[in-house]
Amino acid sequence: MLSRVANLVYWMARYLERAENTARIVDVNAQLVIDLQSRQAADDPKSWEPLVYVTGDNEKFFELHGKDVAVTERAVIEFMLFDRKNPSSLMSCVAFARENARCIRDQLSSEVWETLNTFYLKLKSDDYSRYAQIGSIEYLSRIKAQIQLFYGVADSMVPRTGLWWFFQLGRYLERADNTSRILDVKYYMLLPDIHAVGSALDMIQWASVLRSCSGFEAFRRSRRGQLNLDRVVDYLLRDDEFPRSILFSVNSAGQALAQITADAPHLDGNAACKLVTNLAAELEMIDIPAVIADGLHEFLDDVQNKISDIHQAIQVTFVEYPTAGAKVLA
Amino acid sequence: MPDLFANYEHGRFYDEMFSAPGKPRPHYRRLYERFGRMENMGDLLDRQRTADQTFIDRGVTFTVYSDTAGTEKIFPFDLIPRIIPAHEWAHLERGLIQRMTALNLFLKDIYTEQRILKEGIVPREMVETSKDFRPEMLGCKIARDLYVHINGSDLIRDEEGNYRVLEDNLRTPSGVSYMLENRQVMKRVFPNMLRDYRVRPIENYTNDLLNLLLHLAPQHVPEPTVVLLTPGVYNSAYFEHSFLARQMGIEIVEGSDLVVENDKVYMRRTDGLAPVHVIYRRIDDSFLDPTVFRKDSLLGVPGLVNAYRKGNVALCNPIGTGVADDKALYYYVPKIIKFYLGQDPILTNIDTYLSGNETDMKYILENLPKLVVKSVNEAGGYGMLVGPHSTQAQIEEFRAKIIANPRNFIAQPTIGLSRGPSVCDNTAIEGRHIDLRPYILNGETIKIAPGGLTRVALRKGSLVVNSSQGGGSKDTWVLNDDVTNPPVPVPEKIIV
Repeated sequence: MLSRVANLVYWMARYLERAENTARIVDVNAQLVIDLQSRQAADDPKSWEPLVYVTGDNEKFFELHGKDVAVTERAVIEFMLFDRKNPSSLMSCVAFARENARCIRDQLSSEVWETLNTFYLKLKSDDYSRYAQIGSIEYLSRIKAQIQLFYGVADSMVPRTGLWWFFQLGRYLERADNTSRILDVKYYMLLPDIHAVGSALDMIQWASVLRSCSGFEAFRRSRRGQLNLDRVVDYLLRDDEFPRSILFSVNSAGQALAQITADAPHLDGNAACKLVTNLAAELEMIDIPAVIADGLHEFLDDVQNKISDIHQAIQVTFVEYPTAGAKVLA
Repeated sequence: MPDLFANYEHGRFYDEMFSAPGKPRPHYRRLYERFGRMENMGDLLDRQRTADQTFIDRGVTFTVYSDTAGTEKIFPFDLIPRIIPAHEWAHLERGLIQRMTALNLFLKDIYTEQRILKEGIVPREMVETSKDFRPEMLGCKIARDLYVHINGSDLIRDEEGNYRVLEDNLRTPSGVSYMLENRQVMKRVFPNMLRDYRVRPIENYTNDLLNLLLHLAPQHVPEPTVVLLTPGVYNSAYFEHSFLARQMGIEIVEGSDLVVENDKVYMRRTDGLAPVHVIYRRIDDSFLDPTVFRKDSLLGVPGLVNAYRKGNVALCNPIGTGVADDKALYYYVPKIIKFYLGQDPILTNIDTYLSGNETDMKYILENLPKLVVKSVNEAGGYGMLVGPHSTQAQIEEFRAKIIANPRNFIAQPTIGLSRGPSVCDNTAIEGRHIDLRPYILNGETIKIAPGGLTRVALRKGSLVVNSSQGGGSKDTWVLNDDVTNPPVPVPEKIIV
């Protein structure tokens, strides 16, 4: 397929996955805040500030709102969900995804296009007051359901050609990155407060982190044990059956890459494939208690950098490769 | 019997449907009967809604970019078809083939031997000052001697009903997707009438186009790759580009998808560089290659013209065809036909006055309120003065422009285009002015899809059919034969 088209569909998938995870990150935080309310006021900046750091958008946030602004619930919700000036907001991501879909509309079936277009057209008039009126949990679950609907339609409609595999590649790479950030929310929220480790509140928080990945019940079934730091980190980092774990996502991205290069022997062992294999191996090898002792945040940061390297390698291998010296096909 | 045409005003123009008030022409009689059976406008409007919704569902839309909501609109479609009997079409086809043949010889000549200039039939200066003349192409051999592949001539009928050529479109004529989609919609809305009328199918167009494109490929390539080059998704004709690419099963590419290496063209795929042999380009000459034409073009492909000159890639249409649809050169087309073919034109031009010519200039300036003045460099109904519909100030503005730059203008008498019955403002059927754009393909043989795009000026009294000026379109039915008897046999059927 054309490099430009591959890149459009890859980014369409990344934007949609990011939109979904932004909804999940806001969701987990809103739930945490409810649980924390006995100790902190709902609009205590400490409750919402971590979100803009975790998503890596803190610079953008303060650029738009000024350095000394109070990081209130409302400011963060508007920034993360509805602000078109924030390129990572839910609204921006859905708008970008739709724009990309429009550019390749001739290659999408009408159902696929219409599902995304209808979602966008409904979303674009939403704002904070609508969010507040419906209630965070309900509002966000509707958003998630819309995106899930799109995946469902795409899954049953899109032929398994390069188009589909670039869609999967973008989707899982973004998910690997986003799950690491959801895990990081917990770090920002709780790490300074070491007394709480193992307390009832601590359990509530880990449960909500799992729930934000729709992983709570799956975790209970597969691990049959107590919720604790090691177990939850292990599960979200590298459970090889749970579809939102980082390892599962990285492996799925690897499978998509294998499909993409199946008929192109000259791309065997390309840089993107190698980096994916390395990251998967690393996740399988690490000792979880040691990682936590050395700093979970630093480890997650490193994972995010490696995912970014994989992205760069994908761009260089399939999209922005230099023309001179490129393989000339028969 | 209720009659939706009871209040139809015949007017002083040639009416496609009625020879006299209440007297339908033979080939419209069946439609007249059919519509006569409708109780009222309600039935017709239901079908209009079905048609409009079908266009939306099929994505036959253009996006209004001023609106950030990305609203998609359809081009207005009129339900009442334009019907052309077989003998009329046979005449049109002969005329269009003659014209295409002569224009191809003309383009070949002016880029090679220039006999017609040397013999003074067409003034050299007229060709060399045309903004679409491409001296870069002089002496360039073109595959299979085909110097122009696609023409979308605009035809009109004058007050007497004679078909005449208003202009040729030899660069990147658009609208053919609407011709094809209009038929698809009519098949849903009036299936029985289409069958009963024995309307000639047009569905072969994309197949003929693909065969033409394959015919142009460099001859040593066993399985040539054809692509469609678009300016991109923001172009107003993007729907058509993507429609045609899909129909032909070819890749739709943008300039940035193509690269030239060693004078060969490739498209950038995820697995490497794939050779491209034929480009159906939907961007103008001047944007094709920034190293040769406009330096600021981001739509084109650096090095493309060299690859083309070496014969490694074919372009459709070729570069430089626009010189032959220059509105001033139009004046010479009858002479061009005579020069190369020794024949009189089967389809006549509109009388045309060149403001570059002294006696014509005098006539133009004295008769501006009666004339249509066109800028030779504009299309789409822009840069035009319709004398009888203009204010004194507008006329004076054009007078000054013409005097300042005579080469830039031509003038023609105001032609009362024929009218066809059209559904107007959802309330009544009224006569509206129409034209016809058939699509002529010049490949192994010359092929013309029977019919074309009938455009209709939906604004009351308007003579401008362009979509940018309130125009819509109709399906065009070319009949298989001239037998047009209504449901009950009548003696007066016409057989040619």
